[in-house]
Amino acid sequence: MKNILKNIQWSISAAAVVFVSSCAPDIESPSSSAGQANFSKYIAIGNSLTAGFADGGLYLEGQQVAYPNLIAEQLKAVGGGEFKTPFFSQEQHNGSGYLSLKALVDGLPVMENVTNNLAIRGLNPNGAPLYTKYTDQIHNFGVPGMRLDMAFAPGIGSVLGNPYFERLLPDNTPPETTYFGHVTSQEYTFFSFWLGNNDALGYATNGAFTEGPTSALTQTATFNKLYNDFINKLTEKGQKGVVATIPDVTAIPFFNTVTTARIVAGITASTGGAYTKVYIQTEAGVREATEQDLFGLTFPTDTLGKVSNGIPGYGLIPQNPLHDKFVLDKDEIVEVSTRVNEFNKIIKSAAESKGLALADAHAYLNKVKNPGILYNGIGVNASFITGNAFSLDGVHLTPMGNALIANLFIEAINAKYGSKLSKVDAAQYRGVKFP
Amino acid sequence: MKRLLLGLLLASPCLVWAQGSQVNTQGQKAVGMSGAGSALFVDESSIFYNPGALSKVENNAISIGGSAVMYRSAFREINSNDVHHTKFKISPPFSVFATFGPKESWWKAGIGVYTPFGGSVDWGTDWPGKYELNHLQLRAIYIQPTLSFKITENFGIGGGFVYNIGLVDLTRSIPVSDAAGVAGQAELSGTGTGMGFNVGVHYHLENNVAISLSYRSSVITKLKDGDAKFTVPAGLAASFPNTTFSSELPLPATFNFGISIPVGEKVDIAADASIIGYDIYKELVFDYKDNTPTLQDTRQIKKYENAFSGKIGINYKASETLALRAGTGYVYSPVRGPYVSPETPDNNRFMASVGFTYDINDKWDITGAYVMQQLFERTVSSANSGLTGTYKTYIHAPGLSLTYKW
Repeated sequence: MKNILKNIQWSISAAAVVFVSSCAPDIESPSSSAGQANFSKYIAIGNSLTAGFADGGLYLEGQQVAYPNLIAEQLKAVGGGEFKTPFFSQEQHNGSGYLSLKALVDGLPVMENVTNNLAIRGLNPNGAPLYTKYTDQIHNFGVPGMRLDMAFAPGIGSVLGNPYFERLLPDNTPPETTYFGHVTSQEYTFFSFWLGNNDALGYATNGAFTEGPTSALTQTATFNKLYNDFINKLTEKGQKGVVATIPDVTAIPFFNTVTTARIVAGITASTGGAYTKVYIQTEAGVREATEQDLFGLTFPTDTLGKVSNGIPGYGLIPQNPLHDKFVLDKDEIVEVSTRVNEFNKIIKSAAESKGLALADAHAYLNKVKNPGILYNGIGVNASFITGNAFSLDGVHLTPMGNALIANLFIEAINAKYGSKLSKVDAAQYRGVKFP
Repeated sequence: MKRLLLGLLLASPCLVWAQGSQVNTQGQKAVGMSGAGSALFVDESSIFYNPGALSKVENNAISIGGSAVMYRSAFREINSNDVHHTKFKISPPFSVFATFGPKESWWKAGIGVYTPFGGSVDWGTDWPGKYELNHLQLRAIYIQPTLSFKITENFGIGGGFVYNIGLVDLTRSIPVSDAAGVAGQAELSGTGTGMGFNVGVHYHLENNVAISLSYRSSVITKLKDGDAKFTVPAGLAASFPNTTFSSELPLPATFNFGISIPVGEKVDIAADASIIGYDIYKELVFDYKDNTPTLQDTRQIKKYENAFSGKIGINYKASETLALRAGTGYVYSPVRGPYVSPETPDNNRFMASVGFTYDINDKWDITGAYVMQQLFERTVSSANSGLTGTYKTYIHAPGLSLTYKW
């Protein structure tokens, strides 16, 4: 009798186990694998995009969702090690300060600067801010403003150089230290490299008007030499990695929001129809702006019609055209786009010859711009504020944009190295914050 | 910049009274045989399964039953290793059947209140498809007064008028983030009504083989003045006004053929085959009372196909007071891949069941059943949202009913 009871008890509990485990369905996942790559020490090399710069500033929340950090999170499942980022501290989490959307008035955005809890430790001799140092070992080497040509320039790590690079270096750093030398002396088994954007973008956002080294357009031959020098050094010990192409400068909301039509409408309204055109200075002379000419998001509309060089009616009359630097005219667009295409050719052939994965950010962001993408019920496009991909500066990515770019890199890595990295669930990351 | 917010079009909410929401638990005897038995069981639940059989019921009876339906769905996005599960929810479809009329007469009347469609699915706000659905709760309650006549001793016909009350409550995330980084949410809730009918004929052959033919019409449920509530950052409140909406939900017609065959003194086998007219579900339109450039009326393509189901079961009279049963069935999904949605991530399904009826005494009996349905794994890419991944669903439905006869 006892035995029978025991048997019954056993049967019931066995049946219960079968029942409960069959209650919820499970879907088998493909097993993660590193493929032919070794992800144990991953470093990220690049500019503001790699650093997580967003909304016109570098701040903690942006740093935390920078695409290399999202990739590093996915690498953990396939042998990825620690990935350290020069995070601003909690007390100084607003870093350099950034833009936030204060209100929408009749659908028009009103921005304000976040100026509390900054990480500014002082000013350099030119009065530019210097940031709280972070000199521990790091793996995300993204430096806002870094250009390929500047990566080889001595002094870029000094207080007169790039403040975001300067903050990563100890006080006794020799002045001849370069970004190239600094990052290639690290220990790593895998790298991501997305540099060169600013070699074209800095020139374009200044209306294709060179005012200094940050607004110069790098020569193709220079780019070719420096890019290959960088990649050769990075792969010297057979390390693997992923490189990314440079987006077309016109794919970003920075150039697609303040249109000629909007400026003309503003002029027409504010002058009661007395003026209905906007005149620009171009290399070929003064002419009326058309829809093919692009104005930047930061175009100072309040200068229109004011006195400039002693003449009133700034921008409204052919005698007083807008300065060349405020407009990327249609010929300049061709100049910059052609140069970017040349850069990308160099990037693609370097990737090919070194057997590196290639994330084609140029093609991807062109698709985001036109026709836009539908991602899990979210419309993602290049519209300012509402497009979900670009932050409030119209150039850098939102957290969602970073997640999508991380997936672009992950796809490229998986395709090249036969690895099985899990994609990032970009739906869990936000676009722009609304007031 | 005026029309800045045009890009924030609120994609249409999807609402499906799909196959997934149809779990037939009206009569626990039939549930025990996976839904077969419209020809075999001649009792008060015939009001639902075949009004034609009702006139053959000798007694009058009232029965009350309920099931605990548990939908367990899982989703894995393509190229991701994360599997997401719906939260554990029980939805309680119920049924009440009562018959009236003189004993052993040529006619019988009855009324049934039952829930042929319904379910509760909660994916939460942290899964990849949150901009398609957070949670959905829906129920259609049918109220069906019925009359049935015996044309001959062996041949009964009957019909009922169906009045439907449909209740729906769904939430989905909206891709606008507030200052804390939390996404917005839309909540749509409402009550609709519709009408239809249920007719059937039931025939007993001399050798006790029984045949059942029945037709339950489609019921177009009209939802009017449902509440549309939007939780969005204050700066966007004007773009997402809280308003009302109207919509129309077609519930499909079902044509059913059933047969029961005695294969021994104590054993009957019954089989049922149904064609479900889901092709009525071509699109879903949501008409908001207050439109803004952001909040537009929506029209969503569904393009369902007709579905087919086949069920077979066995009924064994173990003793004078106890009947045991088991069954199995297969249902073809009406939903094409691109139109599969997370509310009821449908696919062809297999089901298996067990059940019993115990006669407590002459007046009372109790029936229990348990059916498990497995919706096969299906990898789809949503035409609506682009969400691409693999769904798999189990449905568990234990149930009980109590009958009093006089």
